[in-house]
Amino acid sequence: MTRHAAMQSHAGKAPPAGGEPGMAGTMAKVFAFLIVVLGVYLWIGYAITKMTGGVRTGGGVVDISPESGEAIYWGKGRCFTCHSVGGRGSAVRGPNHGQFGEKFPLPMGARAELRAAERSKKTGEKWTAVDYIVESLADPGAYVVEGYKNEMAVVYAPPISLSLKEIKAVVAYLMAQGGELDIAAIDSDPSPITKRFYDKIAAAQAAGGGDPTNGATVYEDNCSECHSLDEKPGKVGPSLSGIASKGIKYISDAILRPAKTIRKGYETWVVVDKTGRKTVGLKTAETAEAVTITKASGETVTVPRADIKTMEVDATQSVMPDDLSEGLTVKDYQDVLSFLMTMKGT
Amino acid sequence: MIVLAALAVVALATPAFALEENVYRQFLGLDSRRLVWFLAQMHLFFGAFVLGVPLFAVIVEIVGWRGGDERFDKLAYEFTSLLSVAYATTAALGGLLAFALFTIYPTFMGYMADIFKDVMFIYALLFFGETFALYLYYYGWKWLKSDRPLPQPVQWGLRGLGAIITIAGIVFFFGGFGPEMRTDTRSFMALLYILPTGIGLLIIRDLKSVHIFIGILLNVFGTAIMQAANSWAGFMMSPVGVDAEGVFTGTTWQAFENVLATPIAIHRMLGNLAFGGLVAGAYAAVKFIGSRTPEDKAHYDWMGYISNFVAIIALIPLPFAGYYLGREVYSTSAVMGNNMMGGDFSWTFIIQAMLVGSLFIISNYYLWSGMTRIPGAERYYRFIKYILFTLIVSFAIWLTPHNLPLTAQEVGQMGGSQYHPVLKYLGLMPAKNAVVNLIILSTFFSFLLYRRGNKEGVVSIRAQGRLALVVISLAGLVAVAIVGQYAVTMLTMDPASLDLPPDRAQYLRTIGYLLLFHAAVAVLATGLALTDRGKLGQAILLAVTAFNVAIFLGVHGFVVMEKASPVLRNVAVAQFLQLIACLVLVTTIDIFLFRGAKVVGELNWGRMTTRSQYALLLLTFVITMNMGLMGFIRSGLRGDWHIFGVMRDTSEWAYTPSNYMMTQQVGAAVLLFMIGCAFMFWLGGIASGKAAERDAAASPESDEAPPAPVATMPGRAEP
Repeated sequence: MTRHAAMQSHAGKAPPAGGEPGMAGTMAKVFAFLIVVLGVYLWIGYAITKMTGGVRTGGGVVDISPESGEAIYWGKGRCFTCHSVGGRGSAVRGPNHGQFGEKFPLPMGARAELRAAERSKKTGEKWTAVDYIVESLADPGAYVVEGYKNEMAVVYAPPISLSLKEIKAVVAYLMAQGGELDIAAIDSDPSPITKRFYDKIAAAQAAGGGDPTNGATVYEDNCSECHSLDEKPGKVGPSLSGIASKGIKYISDAILRPAKTIRKGYETWVVVDKTGRKTVGLKTAETAEAVTITKASGETVTVPRADIKTMEVDATQSVMPDDLSEGLTVKDYQDVLSFLMTMKGT
Repeated sequence: MIVLAALAVVALATPAFALEENVYRQFLGLDSRRLVWFLAQMHLFFGAFVLGVPLFAVIVEIVGWRGGDERFDKLAYEFTSLLSVAYATTAALGGLLAFALFTIYPTFMGYMADIFKDVMFIYALLFFGETFALYLYYYGWKWLKSDRPLPQPVQWGLRGLGAIITIAGIVFFFGGFGPEMRTDTRSFMALLYILPTGIGLLIIRDLKSVHIFIGILLNVFGTAIMQAANSWAGFMMSPVGVDAEGVFTGTTWQAFENVLATPIAIHRMLGNLAFGGLVAGAYAAVKFIGSRTPEDKAHYDWMGYISNFVAIIALIPLPFAGYYLGREVYSTSAVMGNNMMGGDFSWTFIIQAMLVGSLFIISNYYLWSGMTRIPGAERYYRFIKYILFTLIVSFAIWLTPHNLPLTAQEVGQMGGSQYHPVLKYLGLMPAKNAVVNLIILSTFFSFLLYRRGNKEGVVSIRAQGRLALVVISLAGLVAVAIVGQYAVTMLTMDPASLDLPPDRAQYLRTIGYLLLFHAAVAVLATGLALTDRGKLGQAILLAVTAFNVAIFLGVHGFVVMEKASPVLRNVAVAQFLQLIACLVLVTTIDIFLFRGAKVVGELNWGRMTTRSQYALLLLTFVITMNMGLMGFIRSGLRGDWHIFGVMRDTSEWAYTPSNYMMTQQVGAAVLLFMIGCAFMFWLGGIASGKAAERDAAASPESDEAPPAPVATMPGRAEP
């Protein structure tokens, strides 16, 4: 056969009646081979399932005991995806909760006693081991073990969404790792510190989506002094008329950590005059002769340029007060968030 | 402080729900979840094939067009002929899947449709573009075959338009215009839509180049369809613009360009290319096994080789695209990220590690088998045992789990720990990162040996003039830039950004200095290549890369894990970048080292064992199984959420299935897909066979063409 003819045949030779000779047999062999390969594949799946367990559902056990906590730790709570307990588990992203090598000479319950002493020294309050463990679940970023990243998930938020009762069970399980387990201290008779954390968790879960109607009142009381809801900028802060398009995370950050999301034109200026007096606020006007700074309180100060020693932007702070959230209840905070999410502009 | 911290937590803790109670239905009493899973899997298998094949069919056609080699054109046509039935099947399965989703999961789909209605309409419209492009590409092959030049004004008009689009693509790439978007999305759109369209117009000069342009458009439409659908899958994992009550407050663009949309698209694109290549390879393998004549065997051997080559090209960067996707998944949600390799899917990942490792080992085996058809390749047989040893050891380490599922008695015998005293180290990420790089490097080495099989000796690079000088220098620059930019990052990164104290900076700086060393070696290798010591340059760069990624950073990874675990991610990136830099530079040098080199003998296409064809088939089966499994892992990471953190799956099917159930589900889909392929190829064979008969009847002079046995096709038939 010539090359050209051969090429034509490759482009697609019509199969003779009944198919190409040999092709039916080939297909039979190929599919037999496929069945064998799939058989091995299924066997691997079967063997692993037999070894590691079957279907996993999200259900948790709700009595407050180390056994229930263990089930949640290794199941719904997904703690095992970052932590191990001694030789059990293989995760290394977070600290090991058991006794493990030189790095973790004490299991979690006993380790928490030492950490509680550190927390007592730092805060001036008397902390217990339970307080420390509860804090690590309620506010994981408050104390980060050296060498690890501040990246622990909020376990009572989606997608994990543990209930307070489930969290208490996990605390019991962790305390049972070499610590003095006292269920009363975890559940019925918590210390004031633990109670504070529990209250916050409960409030966070109860706040739900918030009430925009009450949120409007909260806004009037706390935000309207500086911001506006129409197109014009507020006295000190930007207009919030279309803030909803930025999303809930942005708004939350803007309230809780205002310095993180300073909008252009609303930077915090620090002006120090030649006498050493410092004026901090928004630069609301400037001429060749003077600069006008509006303080967070609304007070305006005009400083002649000739008197200015230094003038610079401080990116680490916002004119918006840092402690605003401290004046809000969790419910008010949820409500004002809901209200701001209705601000979609014109 | 506590109140503030608690409020911060509350902000993150905001529960979110669907707008209404979820409604679920059943079809014929079947398990709705498994039904939708199966249909989605079948649609994705066929879709991947339909999207993957045109990617390399057009490239093969361009190779034939530029080189004036008719065989490549015919091969590209043969690849395309596999598509026609597959395309209709994909569309039918897509319709079935959509109907199943809308009827069985109405609340979920109502929510998605509300957000993505615009994208869904664009998606449907893109199908018109893809359909017209595909049928014009396939049925217009002969009609647009002529090299008769187009009228000059038309050529100039098209080139002008092409120049404008190309410039626009470059400006867009650098952020000159367009909406605000992630860098990866911008790069994806510039490199895969705008620039190919512009360049496609620039090369038009005759009807054949118009045909190639249609092929490019076919790929542009296909990729755009994939990206649109990926935005839905990405949104389900990383929703944006949704308020506390699940109400969507964002824009369509925000939803479309969610965090995971583009990383999934990149991974899927490479996966489709590898998958398309291997399914076409399976077609060639079956034809080879069933062939009776040496000519047919030669042809299908060659087709299988090209298909496998395409697959390997896509397979090499695929683990890194997977790493990028995994990193983005983790950035989206640590819970979801941890669930992947440390949670519900940790053992599923072991299965995928087995499958991916098998892919590389079988690919190597196929390459080694291919060396038997190359006269002179026997000189390199002695290396195979070392490569095999490296692959097997690396594969074994890759598969080693960190802790072992043991009985209490076994735990007692091991000193009370689930960790084996030695093997436990091999189960950790640093060891796995080291060996996966070594596996890729070994595969690359096999490929180099294959390339050199029948070459007698190297060619002087200095004697090749300016082209060699410029291209090798550019490749050297690229290699230096790849590792150099990250070296700067490592040398300047503040450890506080990783929540580490200042004294941990040393672990970052070590990586930086190592990368600088690698960059220096790349410069040395480039210099050696330009002074006709290219082989030495290649050897030094390969050796340094192997040492750096597998040994130095392997060990450093363990140190880092103990002292500064967040840096482990930087170690992995440094390993990947050195490997890519090495691959780019060594390949470029190799091309010029053997450009026009004397050959020992021509390749004996067709002289392959039947066993090697079963290896090719096995590759196809393995990649298909892996694709199904990995696809489910990605989707299953959401746990019991339809839309992660927004809409919970409240149906009775909200669970993470066992590994056995996953393999059953995927295995059934693979079997049906392969049966579907066999049927489609048979149908395609009938159609193209009839066309060939008509052509043969219409041009009897074809038998008078000069004789040239196909069984010894010249070596340049290799890509």
